[in-house]
Amino acid sequence: MNSGFFGAFGGRYVAEVLRGPLDELDLAFQEASRDATFWEEFHRIGAEYVGRPTPLLFAENSTRELGGARLYIKLEGLANTGAHKINNAVGQALLARRMGKHRIIAETGAGQHGLATAAICAKLGLECTVYMGEVDINRQRPNVYLMEVFGATVVPVASGSRTLKDAVNEALRDWAGSYDTTHYIIGSALGPSPYPDMVREFQSVIGQEVVRQLSEREVTPTAMVACVGGGSNAIGFFAPYLEREAPRLIGVEAGGRGPEPGQHAARLNGLGRTGIVQGYKSLFLLDDDGQVSHTHSVSAGLDYPGVGPQLAWLGEQGRIEFRTATDEQALEAVQFFARNEGVVFALESAHGGYQAMQLARSLSSNDAVVVNMSGRGDKDLFITARELMPETWHEFLVSEATSIAASLEEGRSR
Amino acid sequence: MTRDDAAYRIMAHMIPFFPDYDASVQVASALIDGGASYLEIQFPYSDPTADGPAIQGACATALDRGFTVSEGWRFVRDLTARTPVPVFVMSYAGLVYAHEVQRFVKTAADAGVSGLIVPDLPVDSDEGLFAAAADAGVHAVPVIAMGAGESRLRLIESVGAEYVYASLRRGTTGSHTEIGPENSAFVDRLARSGARVLAGFGIATREQVRAVLDHAHAAVVGSAFVRAIGENPTAPADPVRRLCARLSGIG
Ligand SMILES: Cc1ncc(COP(=O)(O)O)c(C=O)c1O
Repeated sequence: MNSGFFGAFGGRYVAEVLRGPLDELDLAFQEASRDATFWEEFHRIGAEYVGRPTPLLFAENSTRELGGARLYIKLEGLANTGAHKINNAVGQALLARRMGKHRIIAETGAGQHGLATAAICAKLGLECTVYMGEVDINRQRPNVYLMEVFGATVVPVASGSRTLKDAVNEALRDWAGSYDTTHYIIGSALGPSPYPDMVREFQSVIGQEVVRQLSEREVTPTAMVACVGGGSNAIGFFAPYLEREAPRLIGVEAGGRGPEPGQHAARLNGLGRTGIVQGYKSLFLLDDDGQVSHTHSVSAGLDYPGVGPQLAWLGEQGRIEFRTATDEQALEAVQFFARNEGVVFALESAHGGYQAMQLARSLSSNDAVVVNMSGRGDKDLFITARELMPETWHEFLVSEATSIAASLEEGRSR
Repeated sequence: MTRDDAAYRIMAHMIPFFPDYDASVQVASALIDGGASYLEIQFPYSDPTADGPAIQGACATALDRGFTVSEGWRFVRDLTARTPVPVFVMSYAGLVYAHEVQRFVKTAADAGVSGLIVPDLPVDSDEGLFAAAADAGVHAVPVIAMGAGESRLRLIESVGAEYVYASLRRGTTGSHTEIGPENSAFVDRLARSGARVLAGFGIATREQVRAVLDHAHAAVVGSAFVRAIGENPTAPADPVRRLCARLSGIG
């Protein structure tokens, strides 16, 4: 049996056609991991291009307002392209180049992973195709625009629920026919082995920085909080602490509109079942007949029906606690941190933000809570503005559309 | 006429509940009348990652029309009761695992199924499929893709399967496959182990069937039937029978 298991979870459950490319990738990753020059380049690009280290903010006003634990925010969303996704995209793109692959494919939900991949492909001169569900294209249009500006081809996916999981299916199909020239950069710590290990290693740069930044300030964290879609920002943020007993590690899933089937994406609170989907065994939201369920979240990055195998296992072991935040609570957290800290959380990250607020309230000033703001909220403009100031926003969009229509008309009549 | 008159051995693929239950029963009969030597019944799954657009779309339709695994077994039981043509059931790991591998295999055997094809439960990550199938007297059919390395081929051979399923090219089901020296050599390589090779992916014409059967035990035809059904959703039986007869050489 191959390794790549975390307890009973993980594995490499793929059709034979993908077995070869995964074996090849596994070897290449192991070799690169042992090569100091590979990591030097990874860290050089991290410093010069991504903007690492990202700051750790003491959220002074929030701490005062919440009246409990001291709250720190890892401003991972300040990384170039706006989210932690760039760490993994850089690592895998370098690996692809090392393997002699000149074409990159990726799936994306919120568009952050697609954007990060498109950006690093532009920088490294790699060809890039991004699969994205039609539903996500509609709700994350600014990211689609940027990916195209970076020269990537964005392919709309119309099958299934037309969201992230369907984009993964489409990328897997592409890869099954193209692996000779193409590397598939999965955007989260999931999929068949070696992806979960590889993505965690590239994302663990977040946690390593936090360890350093906290120790410089002589802060011992009581709890760390991160949102969990597939689990890449969480596993990277938690990585240095996984083998220790403290701090408490808390993952926050999308509670959506509530616990009814199809209305959320909470897999780790007893609602998920062990299954094998998209090449790995983990906890998934399945219907009574074993088909993958539809999910809902206001955030396109958290509505995936499965979770990375290592997180499923760490949940089973009790090392990580899982909570949920609803759509409304996430929006509340976006406003809270914007007002108090001048920081706009991505809707995904705001799920973690909300539970960090709750936790801070329940602890004392001797405690410190660190939350990972995995992304910044610029990309959510069209969702949050519509929720928070519908009338003004509507007026603006109508006038903008009218003005574009007028200039198009003028162009045609010329 | 039946498969005994067929010049060419066809494994004909179909999906219960596509385009709906009754029509799919008629499709099965049409394939039998058209001289199919084997039937491959695909149980639709929400995330068919090895399938191209034709079969994906058909699976989605079948799920909308009410396919469930227990309805699938009902379909298969009715089928095996009325035909001696061997029936193989194909699905994905997600569905088979959700219904417990042992139980899935046992139910298949009780329904008169001859073999099971689950591409994403390969021999070394099979969740007990191959052992359960051996116990139940059902063939578990490993799927092997063109381009698999020699060590994978030897590993797959080591399970001693009586049937192996060869995908004649990379990628997913549906798009056209050229039968040339490379995939012919691949099939020959598999056949040398003594296994009966079921070869498919992109087979839609009699010329392809003939070329494949110079090397393989049977030619698997899937998306071509799905497309024929899609073009005639209200009365698929005749076009399906004609296509099958043309491919099997009885018509
Ligand atoms: C900002 C942000 N945070 C979190 C996620 C969720 O992914 P993961 O759980 O892999 O970190 C996404 C996914 O798109 C994202 O864009």
